[in-house]
Amino acid sequence: MGGIGKTMLAVDVRNLRKEFKVQKSREGLLGAFKDLFRREYQRIVAVDNITLQIPQGEICGYIGENGAGKSTTIKMLSGILVPTSGEIRVGGYIPYKEREKFVRNIGVVFGQRSQLWWDIAVIESFRLLRKIYRVPEPDFRKRMDELVERLRLQELLHRPVRKLSLGQRMRCELAAALLHNPSIVFLDEPTIGLDVMVKAEIRQFLQDINRQYGTTIMLTTHDLQDIEALCSRVVILDEGKIIYDGSLERLKQEWGKGKEILFRFSAPCPVAVLKETTAGIDVHWQAEHDWEAKATLAPTETDVSGLIAAVASRAQIADIQVLETNTDEIVREIYQSGAEAAVAMEETVEATVRV
Amino acid sequence: MYYASIIVDYLKTYMKTRMTYRADFWIEVVSDLAYQVMNLFFVLVVFQHTNLLAGWTREEIIFIYGYFMIPYGIFSCFFDLWDFADRYVIKGEMDRVLTRPVHNLVQLVLENADPPALFGSLTGFLIMVYAGWQLGLEPRWYDWLVLLVLVIGSAMIYGGIYIALTSVAFYSDSKTGIVPMMYNIQNYGRYPVDIYNKTIRFLLTWVIPFAFVGVYPAAYFLDKEITRIFALLTPLVGAIVLMLGVLIWNIGVKRYRGAGS
Amino acid sequence: MSSLYLDLIRIRFLTMLAYRVNYYSGIIIYSINIGAYYFLWKAIYGDAESLGGFTVAEMTTYVAISWMARAFYFNNLDREIAREIKDGSVAIQLIRPYRYLVVKTMEGFGEGLFRLLMFSVPGMCLALLLFPVQLPTDAGKWLLFLLMLFFSFLINTQINLLTGLFAFFVENNEGMMRLKRVSVDLFSGLIIPISFFPVWAETLLKWLPFQAITYLPSSVITGRIEGAEAYAALGTQIVWFVLLIIPIFGVWRLARKRLIVQGG
Repeated sequence: MGGIGKTMLAVDVRNLRKEFKVQKSREGLLGAFKDLFRREYQRIVAVDNITLQIPQGEICGYIGENGAGKSTTIKMLSGILVPTSGEIRVGGYIPYKEREKFVRNIGVVFGQRSQLWWDIAVIESFRLLRKIYRVPEPDFRKRMDELVERLRLQELLHRPVRKLSLGQRMRCELAAALLHNPSIVFLDEPTIGLDVMVKAEIRQFLQDINRQYGTTIMLTTHDLQDIEALCSRVVILDEGKIIYDGSLERLKQEWGKGKEILFRFSAPCPVAVLKETTAGIDVHWQAEHDWEAKATLAPTETDVSGLIAAVASRAQIADIQVLETNTDEIVREIYQSGAEAAVAMEETVEATVRV
Repeated sequence: MYYASIIVDYLKTYMKTRMTYRADFWIEVVSDLAYQVMNLFFVLVVFQHTNLLAGWTREEIIFIYGYFMIPYGIFSCFFDLWDFADRYVIKGEMDRVLTRPVHNLVQLVLENADPPALFGSLTGFLIMVYAGWQLGLEPRWYDWLVLLVLVIGSAMIYGGIYIALTSVAFYSDSKTGIVPMMYNIQNYGRYPVDIYNKTIRFLLTWVIPFAFVGVYPAAYFLDKEITRIFALLTPLVGAIVLMLGVLIWNIGVKRYRGAGS
Repeated sequence: MSSLYLDLIRIRFLTMLAYRVNYYSGIIIYSINIGAYYFLWKAIYGDAESLGGFTVAEMTTYVAISWMARAFYFNNLDREIAREIKDGSVAIQLIRPYRYLVVKTMEGFGEGLFRLLMFSVPGMCLALLLFPVQLPTDAGKWLLFLLMLFFSFLINTQINLLTGLFAFFVENNEGMMRLKRVSVDLFSGLIIPISFFPVWAETLLKWLPFQAITYLPSSVITGRIEGAEAYAALGTQIVWFVLLIIPIFGVWRLARKRLIVQGG
């Protein structure tokens, strides 16, 4: 299907650009009257000449703050939006040109929007999607069995979508997007608003699919744990430009803050003691008083349980809190530590000049 | 073939959805019909005060009205996307539609199909037959075929116009679009166009050709010589208008920008 | 509180201004409407001097005035409300510290003002040029007409609110809204003056609120109703306005109860 060879790039994007024309409203009644006759527009560059290649079978995390242009990129890659300029090939197709043929090969999940029919049972939606994607009946049945088992859908199949919880719905959405066994999957915030358990399940599932079928996955997220669990490659976008493209390891080494763990003690425990007991671990301690201390592990240090065990051996722990790092913080971090370094890998970088 | 099976499946889905709200189905059928009857009421009231409307009798006008209801019913079943701007463009449901391997317009038409509206077509047909009987028309065997062709042409015109109007949503960011405003205009094609002045006649014939949805094709059966040629033009105009509508739509879709960022 | 409502009117006015395509097509469409009905009536009159008590000249004026008045009182509040009920956003509206229905009315008023100033006035000038429309010169008459127009807006809005709120009770009130739209256009006298109806229908319509929307104010401005009768017409409008508050109040209370039961 689609003629995707092993050596081909799943996503091949060069100098991709998307501009939006946004109307400038003049203020007040008089301004509004003027707008009626002559209008002024402002051009906003949502995606600013990005170049990006994703080989087949990769899971690529696409992160950036809100409004950085992530969704716009995903929408161009999945054929929803037509780019202003630049070249774009996904799975060998130019998405917006051969849309109907192209989309048979991809799966898309928008975390905030449902693609299932609201009022009818989930299984009915699946059946209709089978027809739309022209999946042969035996393939469909095999695929369904697999998805039902992996995503634990059995209970949900005969309920209408509107009666599902968010987590249940998201599992169904994933199944719906993967029914036709697409070679490339785009996920826009697939874990948004879900609880920890469901998040973990979904991550596991995506990993399995990727390993078993070599499915290329591109996902946007704000949750760094999604990235850690899934992505070998991270692309960071800011104001429409790629400011980092590389492995997660390097990203962590250079800009990651490492894990932060907050300890609360039921009996006072001075920092000196903590430092002493954790001497063998690459950790930095911070404490305002003896009842509470924050440990920051070095980005390369992964031995969280070692740290906790060491602390527990000397102090009475009342509470432990692992502070999550948000992708937004990393993006900010990159800026603070000087964007030049991160961007060095890109051929040309201009200051953020807005058209 | 593929599209045919898709249509069947969408309709099945529609029925399943509707079965959940069975009572509403009939409320809709009844209110649709009441709506048509009220339009007819106008004709009846007017003819209480006059015997001829620019040379056309009451039964002839009713006949035209009956004809008009047939393509109108087909139109409301398939092309009535009045909340398109709000639902699909502003709220961004178009995203979902565009990621599926069926032409986006076909999906929209199927998602919004409203089969009860076809009762209107049936009623229209009955009104037409009744008025024709009152007029003493004697249909030749091939007249039924002509009727079919003309109705298809008219429905295509309706579809084309409304597809073009709906695609305005891609260009303007207004919530309502201009479809609701057009609501009255479609009625004017139901009256003999020779009552209007040149400008309006021109408008209804060549710009927004609603005259081809009512008076022109209906007049074919009434043997009114003025519109014979126009009647036979109906399928051609239908094909052109529908093509133009789809063309404007396809250009519009390229401008779609999605909701949010 | 009242400054909030004033602001709502202003914002809706500005919102309407923002949509150029709608504005321009609106003007064209209203002109076509007036034109089409003008010619339709001309054809209906044929050689007749007067029908249903209207001369051709009076009829022309009646048509033009009525369509322009419709621009003011017309709104889509029923659809807006139905949509907000269906997508659930009405629940959010209800926890805000204002009266939902009053807010909607104010928004409708902003919309009406917009159309009155931006459609009706330029449209009327156009109609004066194109068709033999005769407007009265008596300032008192205009004042009374404007007052009546305001009540037209109120009554039409009340009917819209009622229709919209029905979305609480049925899944799909689309058909009902369409039915309402035709009823208002037909029974208010916009499409045919009430005096054209057969006697039984005319009597019936006198007992319905629709005539208060178009027929009464348009009859006053065209001079078909004068003097004490004109004030009586205004009185009829006021009575209907007051009467319609009752079912709205009732339906609203039922609707809120239902909303709580459904849990939003």
